[in-house]
Amino acid sequence: MKKPLHPLTLWVSAILLALGVVALDNAWIAIAIVGAVALLVYLRRDGSPWQASFNLSLRIGATILAIRTIVGILIGVPIPGTVLFKLPILDLPSWMPGIRVGGSVTLERLSSSLHEGVIIATMIALFGAATSLTSPHKLLRVTPSFIYEIGVTLVIATSVFPQLATSARRIRTAQKLRGIENIRIRSIAIPLLEESLSKSLQLAAAMDARGYGISRKRSRYRPQQWLMRDNYIVFGTLITVGIMVAR
Amino acid sequence: MITFSNVSLIYPQSTHTVLEDLSFQIAEGEMVLVMGETGAGKSSLLRLVNGLVPHHTGGILAGDISVDGISTRTVKPGSLAHLVGIVGQNPINGFVTDIVEEELAFSMEALNFPPDVMRKRVEEVLDLLSLSALRNRSIATLSGGEQQRVAIGAALVMHPKVLVLDEPTSALDPIAAEEVLSVLHRLVHDLSVTVIIAEHRLERVIQFVDRIIYIEGNGETSIGPADEILKSADLVPPIVRLARALNLREIGTSVREVRRQTEDIRNQEFIPAHVQKRHNDVAIDVKRISHSYGTKPALANVSTKINQGEIVAIMGRNGAGKSTLLHSIVGLHAPDSGEITVNGQDPTLLKGALRRKSIGYVPQEPSDLLFGTSVEEECAQADRDNQLATGSTMALLNRLVPHISHHAHPNDLSEGQRLALVLSIVLSGNPDVLVLDEPTRGLDYQAKSIFGAALKEYATQFERPVLLATHDVELVAELADRVLFLAEGEIVADGSTLDVLLSSPAFAPQVAKVMSPKPWLTVADVVDALGQEK
Repeated sequence: MKKPLHPLTLWVSAILLALGVVALDNAWIAIAIVGAVALLVYLRRDGSPWQASFNLSLRIGATILAIRTIVGILIGVPIPGTVLFKLPILDLPSWMPGIRVGGSVTLERLSSSLHEGVIIATMIALFGAATSLTSPHKLLRVTPSFIYEIGVTLVIATSVFPQLATSARRIRTAQKLRGIENIRIRSIAIPLLEESLSKSLQLAAAMDARGYGISRKRSRYRPQQWLMRDNYIVFGTLITVGIMVAR
Repeated sequence: MITFSNVSLIYPQSTHTVLEDLSFQIAEGEMVLVMGETGAGKSSLLRLVNGLVPHHTGGILAGDISVDGISTRTVKPGSLAHLVGIVGQNPINGFVTDIVEEELAFSMEALNFPPDVMRKRVEEVLDLLSLSALRNRSIATLSGGEQQRVAIGAALVMHPKVLVLDEPTSALDPIAAEEVLSVLHRLVHDLSVTVIIAEHRLERVIQFVDRIIYIEGNGETSIGPADEILKSADLVPPIVRLARALNLREIGTSVREVRRQTEDIRNQEFIPAHVQKRHNDVAIDVKRISHSYGTKPALANVSTKINQGEIVAIMGRNGAGKSTLLHSIVGLHAPDSGEITVNGQDPTLLKGALRRKSIGYVPQEPSDLLFGTSVEEECAQADRDNQLATGSTMALLNRLVPHISHHAHPNDLSEGQRLALVLSIVLSGNPDVLVLDEPTRGLDYQAKSIFGAALKEYATQFERPVLLATHDVELVAELADRVLFLAEGEIVADGSTLDVLLSSPAFAPQVAKVMSPKPWLTVADVVDALGQEK
C-alpha cells in the first residue's frame, strides 16, 4: 500500500506549478507538465470515485482550448504576419471601434490563440490532477478546527453526488429498456427525487443513531502528519517554479 | 438488557396501529429474530430499540422501552450510540465518509473520543471482522458482503451491548450471507452482544437464533423459542414445511436436527421421479460474448442457449458477471466481442413498442419504472403504451395481488405489491422473453410464492423463456428448470437445477441438505416421491 501524502502537499504543488506555468508562458513546457502529471495520476490511481476528475478536467481543458482558438481567430486585433486564409469581415456599428470580427487569419494570430488556450487548459488539468490524487474530502479533514464542523458537513453533503449520478443513470437505462424512448424530465426526476429523499432520510437516521451532534467537541482520527517527504515534494516544486519564473 | 413494556405505536395519518400492547424482555447475549410479512412493522420495532422511532420518524408511542436501564423516551438516539449499534437494510445509504477506516472512526469522532482510544478500537474491529486488507479502500468499491461487514464494524467500535440489524443478508449471495451471519454468531457467543435481527429468508438465520418475535398481520405479536413459534406460524422456512409435511414429532431449526429424524425416509428406495420434458426451440442465443468495464473483465467467452418455455436462473457470487450477462441479453450494451440474438433479433437495436413486445425486463429496483402518482395511473399508462383495452393491466395486477388499493401511491406499496405492479406493467406488453434482475429482495414467503406462480404460468402457458438472476437458492429450487452458474465472468456450471444445486453445498437448498444424498430440492419433491411409494 502506497502511504498517502499529506492532502495539502499536492494541492500546494499544483498551485505553485500553475503559477510557474503562467510566469514562464511557454506552451511546450506546459504540455510537457500536463504529460508528466497525467503519468503521475496514472501511477497512483486507486479506483476512488474522485479519480475520474482528472479526465474530466482534461476534457474541460480541451473544450476551453477549442473555444479560445475559435474566438481568437474570429475576434481580435489583427496581428500582421503570414496569412493562412481570409474570412469575410463583419461590419460592426461605429460605436464599437477597434474590434474586428473576421478578416485575414495569420499564423501568428492562430499560434497566439492556441498558446493562451494551452496555458489555461494546463492550469485546469493541474487542479484536476490534484483533486483526483487527494480527494477534496481528505483536504477538508485537515481544515483548522474553527471551520472543521463546516468541513464535515460539506463532506457529507458532497458524498451524495456520485450516488445521485449513478441512480440517474440506472433509472434512465431501466426506462429505456421498458421501451420508453423520449425520456421526459418528469419520468427521471420523480423516481430520482423519491430515491434521494429516502436516501437522505436514511443517512440522517444513521448519523443520528451514531451519535452525530451529541458531543459539542469532535476529536480527529489519525490526523495526517506533515512528513519530511511532503517537504521534499513542496521544495522540489518550489525550486522548479523558481527556475520557471526566473527565466 | 432490553425491556418493552406495553408498547403501542401508531404513525400519524395512519388508521391502524403498527404494534399493540407489546411486552417482552431480551436478556444479555441473546440472539432474537424479528419476523413478519413485509410491511408488518419489523423495521419499526427494530428502530424503537434505540429511539429512532419515534424521535426521527414521528408517531405516537405508548408504553415504555428501556435499554440497559435507560428509557428511550428521555434521550435522543445519539445518546444511546454507545449502547445500541444499528445497521440498516442498505448499509451504503448509511455510510457517511468514503474510506473504510474513517467510516469506522466516525461515531467515535462525533463523540469526541481521544485519538489513542480510537486508534486501538479501529484496529480491534478491523481484526475482528477481517477487514484489515480493506482499511484504505474506498467504500464505493467494496462488494455487498464487505460493505455489510464495514457497517457492522462501524457499530461495533462503540462497544455496544446491543446490535440491531435490519435484513443484513438480503442483498448478499449465500456465501457472503454466511460470512456475515457467522460474524454475528461469534459476537453473541464470544462477546455476549445482544443481537436483534429482522430477516425474510428464515432459512439463512433460523439455526442461529434463540428466540423469535413474530409480528402477525393482524397486529398480534407472539414471542417465544424458535421451534415453538415456528410450529404455528404462517411464514416458515422450507425446513419447517418439510417437518410439517412429514409429520415429524419435533420441528427442527437446523439441518442436523431434521436429518436425525428423517433417517428412515432417506434409507428407503424410490423410483427416480419423472424426467423433465426437454425444451428444444432456441429463444436466446448467446455466442461467445466477452465484455469488460475498463480493464476489468466482466464476462469472458460466455456461450449458452436459452430455449422456449424454459425458466433459467443465473446464479453466482456478487460481482460474478450476472448483471452484465443480463444487460447484454436485454441489449443495454453491445458486448465487446461475440453475438447475441433474441428470437433472431439483435437486442441492442430494439426500440419502443417493438422492444416492449420482444423483451420484458424487470430491473433490480422495480421502482425505477414507476413515475405515476397512483397505481391506477401506472396501469392506464401501460394500457395506452401497449394499445390494450382500458383496465387490462389492472386486471392482471388484481390477479396477482387482489387487495391492492388502486389509489395508492406506488411509493407507499409494500415491496411485494410494487414488484407485482411492475411485473403486470411489463407483462402487459406481452413480451416474448422475460428477464428479471434479483426480483425477490425483501419479499416474504407468501409474496414470493405468488410471484413464482406468475412466472411459471407465463413460461408454461405461452411457451416462452424466463431468465432471472438471483441469490435466492430456495426460489431457484422451486422455480427454475435450469441453472447457469457464473464465476469470474465464466460459466462454470450449466445444467438442470437438480444437478447444479446438489453439486455445491453452499448453494444447496435446505431440503436438499436434509435429504442428501436423495435428489430432492423442495418439499413438493419429497412429498411427490413419498406419494408414489404409497
